[in-house]
Amino acid sequence: MSAKQIHDVDAVIISLTNIRGNLYTMSLRAPAIAETAKPMQFVNIALGDLSDPLLRRPFSLSGIYPDSGVIGITWAVVGRGTQIMARWQAGESVRVLGPLGNGLDIDELDTSQGLLLVAGGTGLAPMIPLVSRALAKDAEVHIFYGARSADDLLDMGGGCRVHLATEDGSIGFKGLVTGLLEAFLDGGALGDGKPTVISCGPRPMLSAVKRICRRHRLPLLVSLEERMACGYGVCQGCAVPSARGGYHRVCTEGPVFWADRLDQGECTR
Amino acid sequence: MNLSVNIGGLALKNPVIAASGTFGYGEEYVKAGDIRWFGAVCIKGTTLAPRAGNPPPRTCETPSGLLNSIGLENPGAKLVIEHKLPWLAQFDVPVIANISADSREEFSELAGMFAQSPYVSALEVNVSCPNVKAGGIAFGTSPDMCYEATRAVRKAWEGPLIVKLTPNVTDIKAIAKAAVEAGADALSLINTLVGLAIDIHTMKPVLGNVTGGLSGPAIKPVALRCVWEVAQAVPVPVIGMGGIRSAQDALEFIMAGAGAVAVGTGLLIDPEVPRKVTQGIREYCEARGIEAVRELVGAARR
Repeated sequence: MSAKQIHDVDAVIISLTNIRGNLYTMSLRAPAIAETAKPMQFVNIALGDLSDPLLRRPFSLSGIYPDSGVIGITWAVVGRGTQIMARWQAGESVRVLGPLGNGLDIDELDTSQGLLLVAGGTGLAPMIPLVSRALAKDAEVHIFYGARSADDLLDMGGGCRVHLATEDGSIGFKGLVTGLLEAFLDGGALGDGKPTVISCGPRPMLSAVKRICRRHRLPLLVSLEERMACGYGVCQGCAVPSARGGYHRVCTEGPVFWADRLDQGECTR
Repeated sequence: MNLSVNIGGLALKNPVIAASGTFGYGEEYVKAGDIRWFGAVCIKGTTLAPRAGNPPPRTCETPSGLLNSIGLENPGAKLVIEHKLPWLAQFDVPVIANISADSREEFSELAGMFAQSPYVSALEVNVSCPNVKAGGIAFGTSPDMCYEATRAVRKAWEGPLIVKLTPNVTDIKAIAKAAVEAGADALSLINTLVGLAIDIHTMKPVLGNVTGGLSGPAIKPVALRCVWEVAQAVPVPVIGMGGIRSAQDALEFIMAGAGAVAVGTGLLIDPEVPRKVTQGIREYCEARGIEAVRELVGAARR
């Protein structure tokens, strides 16, 4: 009668690297998770056995390698939890619960008119496994990727059409990625094409993407970040207002939502 | 080695219960953990009408603790009774229905509805939720009101009746005695402690509802003290909860006088806590030649 789909595993850190600045990435051996995880799903990572910090920390998967049983996590140090993780070393073992959330099944996604991805900062991380699966399906993929500066950009694989924006203009378009996206769409670069738009990043960015997509009548999926306690649906802590009243749980109904299922209050808090 | 306990007529194969609000109605939990390790499960606090819950943010981590203000989000008693409970029954684990109401009449109506369900083994009357405006904790902070709420449920429900108490009172023993006088068969303690967190960057409270309920290891000493005080003041069994994550934590509560324990915040962090706690209690007892966990109840006061 076991209905278990979510595994709590001791995952050995295979490698942990400081990409640059406050950006880190690690790969973990977690076959039970790697074998079933979908792009844009996440895991909840325990910071240790002590009671402080008490809660696990949720991270989307920046790598899913079912054949080798490996998953990847990429993060920016923004607080105490991510700082503790930055001090971990290869060979150590950490407790990882997952895969969590709905994720995106590439086979259920309409990629016939291509995908248009819009990412801000570490919001690119969950897109990486999605891109490789979309490219394997021969989908045309545009990525609009923005960050504060060239130093804040994550590396991404090749194969898709990349549109970079930095707020300081150190590389690519100078300004917000949503400005770059708007200019691209307003310029008619897509013709009559209606690609599915998928966006992940800060809430104000998601709200702007939602406005732009509504104007251009493009279907939009957003992946939300939220503070979580359990990450697996029992505590109802990670509530986001629904378009139909009430709330959705980011951890269970999400983190990926059709933007029109979320409240008119856009995607901001 | 016998792990079974009896809590006011509710027979449990082991003394570990899923605390209300940390288990939902089981649908999500069974994907992550094995429900059969629980002696009983307590469903999310359920009200007569559906409740959307409080505006986010709803949770905030604090030193060794968790501050939450979910606001009793639930789909309402009718849906719970018609859909959630029949599904949960397949696992053959006793179900405790936690109910919350704004008035005596509503408590009575809710108890009557759950009395019609063949899938409820016990009722837990929530007179201690700190996160809703009306009802909730108001019933649990005065002996008279606690008596009234308990009495209303007692008249509509014949099975094991548990009352869940708040620690946010001057004298928890007085409230406990009122609940027992009104017909409670057992008491759960403690619910969360009212707390607050401030964000110095936004210069605002962190939680959307301003205050929230504090749980986790931070409240364990308070919970142990409450169990200690109440267990010797009333003739009914006590279910102890507050920061239990390990067999050691659970044994501390049992030795303070709890006949059973519940895991809550611990479950949010580790879905396998019930297995670990149950196995750990068994190992502790076997290593010391203790034949039944019941022998340990109140051991610290003898």
